[in-house]
Amino acid sequence: MPDVWLFIGLLAVSTYLSRIVGLEILAGRRMSPALRLYFEHVPVGIMAALIIKQIFTPADGHLSVPVLVGCLVAAVAILTTKRFLPSVLIGILAGWSVRHFYFTS
Amino acid sequence: MDKKSRIKAGLAEALPLAVAIAAYGLSYGVLAVQANLSVAEAVAMSLLVFSGSVQMVSVAMLTAGAGLTSIFFSSLLLNLRNLLYGAALAEGLAPAKRGRWLLAFGVSDEPFVLGSARFKRHGPDPLYFGTVVVLFYAAWAFSSFLGAFAGNQLDPQKWGLDLAFPVTFTALLLPVLTEKPVIATAAAAAIIALLLEYLRPGNELTIILSGVSAPWVGLYIQRRKQSHA
Repeated sequence: MPDVWLFIGLLAVSTYLSRIVGLEILAGRRMSPALRLYFEHVPVGIMAALIIKQIFTPADGHLSVPVLVGCLVAAVAILTTKRFLPSVLIGILAGWSVRHFYFTS
Repeated sequence: MDKKSRIKAGLAEALPLAVAIAAYGLSYGVLAVQANLSVAEAVAMSLLVFSGSVQMVSVAMLTAGAGLTSIFFSSLLLNLRNLLYGAALAEGLAPAKRGRWLLAFGVSDEPFVLGSARFKRHGPDPLYFGTVVVLFYAAWAFSSFLGAFAGNQLDPQKWGLDLAFPVTFTALLLPVLTEKPVIATAAAAAIIALLLEYLRPGNELTIILSGVSAPWVGLYIQRRKQSHA
């Protein structure tokens, strides 16, 4: 897919630009604290929105119980164990079990 | 401090984080082939973009059926914080002169944390920063390849890999939610996303609109906290 390669190229250029612009142009300038906080909070907003979007299946907007259960279990696991990969695996396993034993979707 | 001990310090301090980055890269690789990227495309993205958040969000949005344009706009939003990191690291990287253009490639979350801590204690140290970035880059590239290669051999539905996205993002997001403004931002984003999905199920703009608007709520909470203090 040539589109995908073009896309990867665009991502690479724009990401590098965001890095070099900060380093070369914004260095030593004072940025308003509000703007600073805003920039720092954007990723959290995007991640939260992505999770919601995936709990409600993209195609028809219905709640997916296996995904919801998987997320809840992973949430509990990461908060108690603080270990990333095991928490992800436990979450997937929980969602997968719900799908296979209780729901078909 | 001599060169050798600066490299050593970089390696020692970056190693635990490199392991975490490799775990994250492994999941990225699996998810990227899930999003119908080839192994070569998945790895090329890691080599050229070298940004966990941008790559993760991109493949998640691809899987959710988003168009390339809206993914690109989300990545611009995500990259805004690199401006802050670059500005904050500039002084510590200044002795590298033209090498800064190469080191700039490593300006992102984890190197920023290590780099700024180092510069605060020991003053400017581009060599330390470079060491950290090279280690992270190797961990990220190699683990993405392993993940993509393994993911390619698996049947996603059967292994529950379609569950991996939301579950991975949950595991990434939760540990960050330690202070009120951040929690408020996440909650606001969730509510806005729910509302948008309710009004227009499956629309393309949910993620961008939530990402742009939710941080204002966090900002508002922070301001209120400060004025009370």
